Amino acid sequence: MNPEPPPGGGPQPRVSGLHCPNCGGSITLRALGQASSVVCEGCGSILDAQDPKLQIIQTFHRIVSSDPPLIPLGTRGKIRGTDYEVIGFERRTITVDLVEYHWHEYILFNPYKGFRYLTEYQGHWNDISICKELPSMSSSFNISPRVNYLGESYQHFQSADANTDFVLGEFPWQVRVGERASVTDYVHPPRVLSGEKMAGEVTWSIGEYVPGRDVWKAFNLSGSPPPAIGVYENEPSPFSANLKAVWIGFAALAFGLLVMMIGFDLFAMNSSVFQGAYRFTSGYPRAEASFVTNTFELGGRPSNVEVTTSTDLQNNWIYLNYALINQDTGQAWDFGREVSFYSGYDSDGSWTEGSRNAAIVVPSVPPGQYYLRIEPEADTVHPPVTYTVEVRRDVPVSSFYGIGFLALLIPAILITWRSASFEKSRWSESDHPHSPIIAEGN
Amino acid sequence: MFRQIYMLYGLLILATVGYAQYNGWSLDTMNQLKNVPKSVRDNPGSYRSVYSGYHHYTGGK
Repeated sequence: MNPEPPPGGGPQPRVSGLHCPNCGGSITLRALGQASSVVCEGCGSILDAQDPKLQIIQTFHRIVSSDPPLIPLGTRGKIRGTDYEVIGFERRTITVDLVEYHWHEYILFNPYKGFRYLTEYQGHWNDISICKELPSMSSSFNISPRVNYLGESYQHFQSADANTDFVLGEFPWQVRVGERASVTDYVHPPRVLSGEKMAGEVTWSIGEYVPGRDVWKAFNLSGSPPPAIGVYENEPSPFSANLKAVWIGFAALAFGLLVMMIGFDLFAMNSSVFQGAYRFTSGYPRAEASFVTNTFELGGRPSNVEVTTSTDLQNNWIYLNYALINQDTGQAWDFGREVSFYSGYDSDGSWTEGSRNAAIVVPSVPPGQYYLRIEPEADTVHPPVTYTVEVRRDVPVSSFYGIGFLALLIPAILITWRSASFEKSRWSESDHPHSPIIAEGN
Repeated sequence: MFRQIYMLYGLLILATVGYAQYNGWSLDTMNQLKNVPKSVRDNPGSYRSVYSGYHHYTGGK
């Protein structure tokens, strides 16, 4: 168990000044006594930090000078409430399909808390620490392997051999340029579980995705972090976190819509205020075809009026010009409706087209005394048409519920699609590009 | 945040549907007129609807 840091300030790491046995350059040991190796900033020699004489472990020709650490060594920052100092930096590379992918690792040190790591790949950052217990392989059947750690299931993402090709600063192990490790990543966004196998020994570490701006803020760095490119393996989806909540919201709102529909259906007046039966023979008598109905009363609040036409049409049509006219004010709603119905037989069997009935809804009609002016039109060659006209007050209009339902559904579908696209981008970089979408942690 | 925006949007949709239903909105198209003469009651032919003179399409039958 680590002792508590002294009150009134963060721990001050011990710094010791030594000299490189290879080039004589000054060596600064920030994690004195706890680092296993240190790299000379002058010549790049890797020295044994546990040896008082700083015995040379490895010398290498520094080839990476254009890839300096984004967080300079010696920079201090606060991670999860604890002060850490950047003491080491390494660049590692994996090669997949002859393409090299590089990422950077920063070694952080606190004399009370020990070591911690930050990794960076194309603007994506992870806060890494060594696992306190061993993950267990999942026994459940899945398309890709899974491991369990601290009650969470991690899905296999990628396995590759990583090569260390640049080192700087101090390391808690005897680092070598050119050392290779077999790295396996399992993800449960925003966390990643990494197993690193080297010389028959597997070291497990747990990482959590950190936005670059948080790293910049933690270390009080100037400028802005490099922009994140693409979707990283454990990057939390900005959509998935909302997905379940949106669908629950959709279900609640759709239920509200259903309740509203039932309520309006139950409490709508929906009363028949006029009915009339008529017969129309086109062209006979050759006189004015239009006529008016008796007056009828539309009561209640301003609401709609449905005018329904029912006919006995058979392979025939009729067009009815309607005007709903307020007897007192002269306000009128003018509309027309064709009713047609055809049927017959052909090689496919019987068929029908059209309907013998038609309805039209007049919006927001104030109460008052009204009558209908009706003007039928039809073909002269067809037989007479018998039709009835019914006027109903305050009828429920189901199309509004359909439009409302679609309006609720479209954003939910859009966010589901965006979430699926995000996951597809994530898994396209994995060993399982067609893996099903996994649930995210919070 | 998206969840709150979506819920707000959904409630707005519900309110609009309820308002439309209560006030008797309609999706049907029609022409509204203000001062139709009272003579129409006695002489329906004195008024002509803008929908009069309908041309029924019979092609293909």
